[in-house]
Amino acid sequence: MQFTINRERFVQSVQDVSKAISPRTTIPILTGIKIDAAEDGVTLTGSDSDISIESFIPVEENGEQIVTVETEGTIVLQARFFADIIKKLPENTLELSVTDQFTAQVKSGSSVFNINGLDPDEYPRLPEIDESSVFKMPKNLLKSMIRQTAFAVSTVETRPILTGIHWALSGEKLTCTATDSHRLAMRHAEVKSNDADLSFSNVVIPGKSLSELSKIIDDSDELIDIIVAENQILFKATNLLFFSRLLDGNYPATDNMIPTSGKTNITLETKHLLDAIERALLLSREGKNNVVHVKSLEDGKIEITSVTPEVGKVTEHVATNSYDGEALQISFNGKNMIDALKIVESSEITVDFTGAMSPFVLKPAEMDHMLHLFSPVRTY
Amino acid sequence: MPQHRVIFHVDMNSFYASVEAAFDPSLKGKPLAIAGNARERRGIVVTASYEARAKGVKPPMPLWEAEKACPGLLVREPNFDRYRDLSQQMFQLLYEYTPLVQPVSIDEGYMDVTAIERGTHPVDLAGHIQARLNNELQLPSSIGIAPNKFLAKMASDMKKPFGITVLRKRQVPDVLWPMDAVKMHGIGSKTGEKLTRLGILTIGDIAHQEPHYLEQYFGVAGRRMYEKAHGIDERPVDPDAVHDFKSIGNSTTLPEDTVNQATVRKVLMNLADSVGRRLRRKHVYAGNVQLTIRYHDRKTITRSRQLPHPVNNQDDIFQAAWFLWETYWNQTPIRLLGITGLDLVEEGKAVKQLDLFDYKRDLKDERLSGVVDQLRNKYGEESLLRGRQMSERDRSDQIRDKKKRGTSLEKDFLREDIFNNNQTEE
Repeated sequence: MQFTINRERFVQSVQDVSKAISPRTTIPILTGIKIDAAEDGVTLTGSDSDISIESFIPVEENGEQIVTVETEGTIVLQARFFADIIKKLPENTLELSVTDQFTAQVKSGSSVFNINGLDPDEYPRLPEIDESSVFKMPKNLLKSMIRQTAFAVSTVETRPILTGIHWALSGEKLTCTATDSHRLAMRHAEVKSNDADLSFSNVVIPGKSLSELSKIIDDSDELIDIIVAENQILFKATNLLFFSRLLDGNYPATDNMIPTSGKTNITLETKHLLDAIERALLLSREGKNNVVHVKSLEDGKIEITSVTPEVGKVTEHVATNSYDGEALQISFNGKNMIDALKIVESSEITVDFTGAMSPFVLKPAEMDHMLHLFSPVRTY
Repeated sequence: MPQHRVIFHVDMNSFYASVEAAFDPSLKGKPLAIAGNARERRGIVVTASYEARAKGVKPPMPLWEAEKACPGLLVREPNFDRYRDLSQQMFQLLYEYTPLVQPVSIDEGYMDVTAIERGTHPVDLAGHIQARLNNELQLPSSIGIAPNKFLAKMASDMKKPFGITVLRKRQVPDVLWPMDAVKMHGIGSKTGEKLTRLGILTIGDIAHQEPHYLEQYFGVAGRRMYEKAHGIDERPVDPDAVHDFKSIGNSTTLPEDTVNQATVRKVLMNLADSVGRRLRRKHVYAGNVQLTIRYHDRKTITRSRQLPHPVNNQDDIFQAAWFLWETYWNQTPIRLLGITGLDLVEEGKAVKQLDLFDYKRDLKDERLSGVVDQLRNKYGEESLLRGRQMSERDRSDQIRDKKKRGTSLEKDFLREDIFNNNQTEE
């Protein structure tokens, strides 16, 4: 194997596939990046067996020559060293060749690295997926949907299924839901499918997989293909394949959790609420006490308070744009509210409360594509 | 301030040594030391009889040193089951006089006898108690009589063994002020050093400071120090304050070593029940549950679990303890189990983020727990038990009965750690 490649483009692909590689893997071969040179270009693969990423570098891109393949071949190289080496090389191009059986030589300018590799035949094959049912959405929409749900997944393993994001597709409408059982984020979007009847539910993708995916796809409106299989999901974009394992188990039903009739409805400026809650939490210590109390006042304002024992108390009044319904007194986790307010992408929000001990709903004002549900905090 | 109170501090003399002598009369009147690893001579003396103390045996002293100071010293290894057992009998005897008994440790406690005085002179009453402790349990004791806990404690220390000492508030300048500051109950060696650096050497010196000055150096403790030096202590005798608010725990020694899961489950349920009720009675919640397992070979481990939110009901405490049991039990026979609630939070300051999936259960649970307590308070301890708690009586049943409840884990362990330094691991 021997090829010469544009270093910058190569570094980009190596970094992308490295996102799948875990230094703590128990399978030694998976600490490596698989490099496969063929007539049409170079393919890189990284995997931790949950996520597998394949990045393809074509011989020519946008009319520019990127790779010159002298001889075809395959090698697996230790990801940790390899990524660092090529990042630091002096010239704009580098030459990679396999000299001995599993030994590679990397040359750039006057710098030469000889590094030991691993047997590519040991590298596991990527899952084979039937690609007959595909749906598509713009990359930037996918990125938004991930950003607006992934923050709400559970980070503890007590209910492993909640560490994933639930995807359901029905009538070309995709619904993504994430919850850690204290707050829930839900996002809808229209997608295009080659089969208008394509539908699924209980597809639970690890939150970590989607966060990694979000990092390596660009913010363009180019379409990305999505294929859901038995226990895998495949995201397919130009020169990129991203596989993720799906989580086993049943995601809890969440539809019936969302209250339909509120007793108190308020509309207010997102930024005013966000700033006030951020200030209210300034006294809380290392996220230990994130409890914020909200109370309605006479003049359509709400009062936000937070008390940290032995430290102090903060009180702030926030004006609402509209206030309808019963008087309000409720406590909740301010940190969770901040997480949601940061991603609502709307200057105005509405909040529907159904009592001090019931979950409440936050939405961007006059929009239905997104919903956040919060459980209150009980003081006892 | 309510009416004039009469408080006793009952302090058992050389408790462990006295218990051993009660079991083996041949030890009576002889120099006796209780020490771990007696056979290997590298143990430490935790308690010594007065005969041994007279010859210079001062616990905690290495055994070899004690034997040098007192040739012919008799040595026994500690027998904690026996001490706990007699401690229970001792408190039981005190409860016969008044329910206002506050155990402070395995061998001492306060009694508020204001209400039972009725014509009996406090000194006669104390004499009666002391005589019964000696006749029925063969345990020597010293009793301090005073208008509050602090003075009673100071008084009981003044004459040992078999002392009965009355300390009146007006005697404070004469009796307490000439004493070294470190002799004041509540002042340890660290505080003592600090006081010395400030030129405060005696209790009288403390009494003559500005309270603000002491507060500046010692905080709230400084204020308390000043009040005590003037013989003021308004703390009530609290039967529930087995120890301070830092933790609430119960332990039980099994009738025989066991590996039986069903037995362990039942014992843990009973312990969880009792700890839960004590938490509720004190209006606190535990943010952390600790399980103590003592194995057949006395090796003791404690393991704790931080809870997602503070709890005070049997189920939550049991679940946490059971989780710890399943995670940490090493499969060998066990002798003792204990559950302790830590990280206590006062009622009204505990918070729980409700679960979106079952927030409705929260309110229901809380109501139920309250009802069970009401029933028990009205109809007695046995009126309402869970199925698995209702098997044949064993020792863990006794902890459901507050009168028979054992001594606090914490205090017990303080003593036992002297024998096995590596017992408790975090």
